[in-house]
Amino acid sequence: MHMTDPSFPAGKAAGSLWGGNTVSHRRGQLWLRTCSIATLLCVFLGATLQAEQLSAPDMKALLARIREKRNAAPHVQADFHEEKVIRLMNKPISSSGKVWFQAPNKFRREVKGNAPSIMISDGQQLWIYYPNFKSAEHYSLGKHSPLDAAMAAINTALNLENVESTFHITGAKAATGYDLELLPRGPSMKRLFQNFHLRINDELLAERTEMLQPNGDRIVTTYSSQTRAPIPSSTFEFTPPAGTDVATPLGK
Amino acid sequence: MRISDLIARLLTERRGLVWAAVIALIAACLTILITRLALDSDIINMLPGKFSSVEGLKIYNRDFEQTRELTFALLCQPQDADKLEEFAPAFAEILHQQPWCERVLSGSPMETPEGVQDLQSMALPLLLNLDPPTFTRTLEVLQPEKMRERLHRLHEQIEAGSPRPQFELEFDPLGLIAPAMKPFAEGNAIQEDQPLTSPDRTMRVFLVVTNQRSPSAFDSQRLMREVNQFRVQPLSGWDGGPLQLLVTGRSAYVSDISLSMREDIKWTLLGSLVLVGIIFFVGFQRWLPLLGMGFALLLSCLVGLAVGLLVFHRLNMATIGFSAILVGLGVDFAILIFGRYQQARGDGESHREAIATAVSKLGRAVFFGALTTAVGFLALVLSGSLGFTELGVLIAIGILFAGLFMCTVLFLFVRERQTVLRHDWLFGLVKKYVCWSVQRPKPVLLVSTLLLVSLSVIGFSPLLAVPFDASARSLEPKNSQASEALAAIMHKMPTRWEPVLAIVRARDPQELHDQWRKIADHWTELQRAGKIKGFSTPTALALSPRTMQTNHAQLASLDFDLVRTTLDQALEAEGFSRDSFASAFALLADLKRVKDAAVPMPHWRDRLPKASSWWFLIDRYFARDPLLTTGFVTSNAPILGHAAYERLSQDLPVAGVPIIFSGWSYSLANLLPWSQRQLILISALMAIFDAVLLAVLYRDWRLWVIQEITLVFAVGAMLASMKLLHIPLNLLNVLSFRLVLAIGVDYGIYIILIWQKAKDLEHDVAGVVKPVLLAGLTAVSGFGSLGLARNPSLSGLGIACAIGIFWSLAATIFFTLPAAALTEPKVWRKE
Repeated sequence: MHMTDPSFPAGKAAGSLWGGNTVSHRRGQLWLRTCSIATLLCVFLGATLQAEQLSAPDMKALLARIREKRNAAPHVQADFHEEKVIRLMNKPISSSGKVWFQAPNKFRREVKGNAPSIMISDGQQLWIYYPNFKSAEHYSLGKHSPLDAAMAAINTALNLENVESTFHITGAKAATGYDLELLPRGPSMKRLFQNFHLRINDELLAERTEMLQPNGDRIVTTYSSQTRAPIPSSTFEFTPPAGTDVATPLGK
Repeated sequence: MRISDLIARLLTERRGLVWAAVIALIAACLTILITRLALDSDIINMLPGKFSSVEGLKIYNRDFEQTRELTFALLCQPQDADKLEEFAPAFAEILHQQPWCERVLSGSPMETPEGVQDLQSMALPLLLNLDPPTFTRTLEVLQPEKMRERLHRLHEQIEAGSPRPQFELEFDPLGLIAPAMKPFAEGNAIQEDQPLTSPDRTMRVFLVVTNQRSPSAFDSQRLMREVNQFRVQPLSGWDGGPLQLLVTGRSAYVSDISLSMREDIKWTLLGSLVLVGIIFFVGFQRWLPLLGMGFALLLSCLVGLAVGLLVFHRLNMATIGFSAILVGLGVDFAILIFGRYQQARGDGESHREAIATAVSKLGRAVFFGALTTAVGFLALVLSGSLGFTELGVLIAIGILFAGLFMCTVLFLFVRERQTVLRHDWLFGLVKKYVCWSVQRPKPVLLVSTLLLVSLSVIGFSPLLAVPFDASARSLEPKNSQASEALAAIMHKMPTRWEPVLAIVRARDPQELHDQWRKIADHWTELQRAGKIKGFSTPTALALSPRTMQTNHAQLASLDFDLVRTTLDQALEAEGFSRDSFASAFALLADLKRVKDAAVPMPHWRDRLPKASSWWFLIDRYFARDPLLTTGFVTSNAPILGHAAYERLSQDLPVAGVPIIFSGWSYSLANLLPWSQRQLILISALMAIFDAVLLAVLYRDWRLWVIQEITLVFAVGAMLASMKLLHIPLNLLNVLSFRLVLAIGVDYGIYIILIWQKAKDLEHDVAGVVKPVLLAGLTAVSGFGSLGLARNPSLSGLGIACAIGIFWSLAATIFFTLPAAALTEPKVWRKE
């Protein structure tokens, strides 16, 4: 009987102590969720949001229009500049580059400069490549990990289907556009964000996003040169160059 | 004076004296029970102790912390999954506030800052415990150049947007902790992918260590009473839909089993008394003797328990439950003796003469019947199981006393003046059958032989096996809340099958470390070879004083002031926040302190806070005695049969390392041959004893052969019925075979002994067949009522016995009697 229970819950319990993973594994998942969510939210919402007075009915109408626009133009690309304030560093870290997005879940983010990197997802795989180190990180999606839950939540948000069930969305009219605030509803999302601010211009294009994480880290991103021009599908494909050291921090 | 006359005289002329003796006996037994009663609730003690796997179960239950652990699960509706996630910390806090709760685990310790800090606090001893070459390589990160290079590289990676350096630096700023923890993490690989939340997020599991004083049944019941009170209270803070609170764990099981056993005993005893009473009344139309029979039976149970306590000092609860068997056995004696008494009274004998007649005519049969049954149950001593040994001895003592009391105490409840039965329809029917079967035995014999032979062929045929349920579930009570909770959790949560436990006890820490090292190496090979799925061991936590001493010597060559200065400079150069590296400086200070030879070697046990959630994991590996440890092996498939056990028992052991392999599945698979051997060997021994006894008793080989054939038919028909009705045997109801043999022999003795001596067939033989029929029916209904018990072992035993006794009775009446009449017609001719 399960009495010894090793037969039981015994084993289950012990297993959960590791949280199913090693230290780096668990913390990596959290980081990745945060990073992916930020990227996706910035790119897509920033590119398509358009609103007047953001009362509840207005917000509902606005979301409907956003869905229409997204259906009409599923591709978005833009230049970005990002400033990260993290506890580990005395000074903020700045980076800039370009992002490409295709609804519902493909994206590419290239960081230029002295420390370049490329982040690519085709919806099933997520790659982060560091040319300077000739190394890459590979994450598989769709394996019932917390990462998938986060991605699913984000895709829901991006598709704007039942977005209200995932986020509290409030907004205000600014001088040249709108300021929106997205507050996560569920505990799992709350572990990723404390809050998320988004400023869009009158052309429904993102100008600035600001994300505050529960550990106090803050990421501010500004966008420019946004366009909805078609993007070749190869943009969202990635094969590590020969000689690349590939790591799978969350396992295969 | 004959003994029967002496008994009759005492019971009629010295009733006061006999009552005084009975009261004195009751007082003595009650005194023993009150002063010495100690109950053992552990079902493991019903298993044979000579098996190391069973011994392992006992050790794990006795010495490891999990005996005090309960598992709580909250199950909500799908639409409330988010609410449940939010409510989980609040519920953990509610649990923590309960007076019976010592510690709560509601999630991975790695998800809390305290959990990470606790892990970091263990790093130093685990670092020093690394094998020396690894330790040397690990320390290289403290070289100034390497340290600068590492921090620079991590800085660049952060700039590039990599997530890895950030979490690496937060957890392991110096680069020493991850290598130190690596063996610990690897050793626990088996524990991965077992979250405390179900994939659909509708169930959350919480582990609680309680402050239960002892693992006894009474303390488990006490704890579960409090827990159940907590369960029925509304959960403050929950604002969602229906929320189920499930509880399982050892204490929950022990409480359920012991309570269900108590209820089973109460209701099945009541049920069998009612059924027996009805049959007795139908047969004899008397109430007072029925009371006497119940009194004598209870008295024999009382004496059996008292003597059992004197012999064993402590009795298994299950044993006491099975002692209800006594009732089923003792009833036979009462019915036979009283039946014969009543017949004598019908013949015009006085009360005293009728007692003397009943005792003299049937006392011998009752004595030998009791003796064969007692010896049959004493054979359980050979089983090697303390529980079964207790059961066997208790029943043997009880049945002998039951025989004695039915020939004596029973008559204290029989009135001297009683009306004679005017119309005994049952006796009339029996008489007709006896006359017919004795005068024309062939037709009856032909029909019964055909039927019994057919059933025996099916029963003994190897083509159709009796189902054998060796699963642990066959021992669990029906409708057990603990069992249902476990099933619900298992259904919701992704889980593996039960692992094999490997228990290792060492004489000193060095031996413990060396043994686990060898075991881990061997099992790694097995895993590579695909012979096992995985394993987890406490190797990383079993510190090696020798290795730590060697590594400690290496520390002497390090200049920690220089390391500290280098770290300071590198942080400054790379722009890292010094505050974020506080734990790195603390670790360096620790290492510097340990470098001083006067400081004792650090041990993780002293560094890990008492309230840390990591103890939940550590307590899986270490008993209260830190030199008693266990590891876990997951087999490639669930252990369902003896073959799987044999494979594992050949593969897992390590030369030179004493290991006790255990676990419920493993142990039950190990016990299968024992159980089957029990069925065959001990039953065969009993049959041989019975055969010899019967040969001496009958002194007639033809009657002896008839009796033996009757027994074979009874067991064969019983096996056939179980096969055809798909009634499985389990580890406990294999007992039923010896019970059926014992009772079958009794019925045969009553009939054949009377047949040998009968002068008036109508009177003598029919006068015994009627009580035998009644005794058989009462035994069938008595054991059948056990089938209603919630405890499957008890209900399985009851059903198997009822079937077996039915066939024994049928074979005795429809085969033994006509066969004896055909074989020994002399008696008939004499008449």
